[in-house]
Amino acid sequence: MNMVPTIGIETHVELNTNSKMFCKCAVVETENPNESLCPTCLGLPGALPVPNLKAIESITMLALSANCAITKNGMFHRKNYFYPDLPKNYQISQFDLPVGVDGSIEIILNETKEIVEIERVHMEEDTGKSIHKGSGRIDSATSTLLDFNRSGVPLVEIVTKPVIKSSKEAVSYIEELRQLVIDLKISEGKLEKGNLRFDANISVAQEGDNELGVKVEIKNMNSLRSLEKAIDYEIKRQTKLIESNEVIIQETRHWDEDKEVTSSMRSKEGSADYRYFSDPDLPNMILSDEFIDNIKKTIPILPSEKRDKLSETGLSISESNYLSKSEEWIYDLFLKTQKITNDTKSTFNLITGELQGQLRKAGTEELPEWFTSERLSEIIKMINENKISFTSGKEILTNLIKNEIIPTKYAEDNNLIQDNDSDEIAKIVQNVIESNKEVVERIKDGEEKLVGFLVGQIIKSSKGNINPSIAKDLLLKEL
Amino acid sequence: MKKDIDIKSVAKLAAIKLTDADEKKFEKDLNIILEHVDALSKMNIEDEEINIHPLGEKLNLREDVSSEFLTHDEAMSNSPETEDGHFVVPPSLD
Repeated sequence: MNMVPTIGIETHVELNTNSKMFCKCAVVETENPNESLCPTCLGLPGALPVPNLKAIESITMLALSANCAITKNGMFHRKNYFYPDLPKNYQISQFDLPVGVDGSIEIILNETKEIVEIERVHMEEDTGKSIHKGSGRIDSATSTLLDFNRSGVPLVEIVTKPVIKSSKEAVSYIEELRQLVIDLKISEGKLEKGNLRFDANISVAQEGDNELGVKVEIKNMNSLRSLEKAIDYEIKRQTKLIESNEVIIQETRHWDEDKEVTSSMRSKEGSADYRYFSDPDLPNMILSDEFIDNIKKTIPILPSEKRDKLSETGLSISESNYLSKSEEWIYDLFLKTQKITNDTKSTFNLITGELQGQLRKAGTEELPEWFTSERLSEIIKMINENKISFTSGKEILTNLIKNEIIPTKYAEDNNLIQDNDSDEIAKIVQNVIESNKEVVERIKDGEEKLVGFLVGQIIKSSKGNINPSIAKDLLLKEL
Repeated sequence: MKKDIDIKSVAKLAAIKLTDADEKKFEKDLNIILEHVDALSKMNIEDEEINIHPLGEKLNLREDVSSEFLTHDEAMSNSPETEDGHFVVPPSLD
């Protein structure tokens, strides 16, 4: 029997506002616990929440970019629960009237465009951080330490419909969402800092079944790698249970990064157990047409639009996808340089290969202002026209990163222009053959790899400015 | 519409311990409250505009400007137990 997995992803995105969602406390990055607190985010009696305009603008921008319908007359609800990570005993969240509903996000999977349908995009507040003290295992802790610095930081939850079919698709979706919030400049989007956190709802059913299987929620996946592994593990676990006619329990399971297994945390509350009710402290949130139109005007070019633009230059879908998820300046540099060189492949290869590699080695992420698309194009053109070798091109690139040079002038000044004059090269070839008679004999006896050695000798005696392919052709003719 | 109260589940969600006697008492009380509220479902509201929120006013939003309110020591001052600058509470999951 053939099993089909169905996956839905809930992602929490921490917004990059200055202040918290419902109070003026600063959003801080500090190791010192409980530094940025006030009566509102400590849940002290009588404190009243006032929502952050920037956060509402950010979530509206995200919802619009994810093609959602915007709820113009929305509201906040209280989600009641008793974990100590929020001291009010409830989290201010949204229930049946979230900011955005019924959206879609385009992702790239195996060289094709796929659509992931979005169920809802809603606004809420982050919880504090808990440290469980004791034997190390979360379920045998002796006490819990609480830091409320994060309590009340604006958090957007994006929930997909159960439409994702594989761990690879889930990873591609998170990569896309991450790029989207970075391009919209509403979040730092750093997974390692917890700016993006995701849970996966996974069920497995027999192919052809109209109903989905029992849903299991997986938590504690901290990286794309653990997301992929946890989903694959859970699909296998559920498939095994079904095949041996065992029951799958609806529950929340914890991904154990070290053991690479999921284990049961607690039985999952139904929505009714959270006893949602409208927050009496917060009146309806009206988003006017004017407000929404103004937000629309501030939306920058989206990753999917970048890909379309890149594909027009002749890049493949995955190459376009790669550049759409690179730094903004790499995307710009490629488009500008490609326009001048009109050579998509060479431009893509030099930027994503040699240039990015050299920058990584140098430990920098930025280019100096003199590093223009015009100067980069000069290098690409010289290589393509065989005026310089690729090795010389790399050398010029290295120098252009460090110093303000004109590549064409640098090539001339440093004697890098290749000699394409066959007569000149032929003389050198003849000399090299004369002085390496033994090697020539061995080549004639079948040791073909020694041809490379002779080409090297030719280039060496020309001080490196001979076009190697011409030298090789001439050498082979002579042999 | 009215359903009988499951007092054990309500007590669990409210994180309170009830004795058998408490359970009987609160079960009765809560059922009386439900009966009262149930009267609402008998109302004819077909022609009424739905008011989804008790407050009719529009929500006021605040500019994203931060300011300090409590110092660390002030924030911790009412806590019965602290450790390394943290509030300490009984062990809890999630």
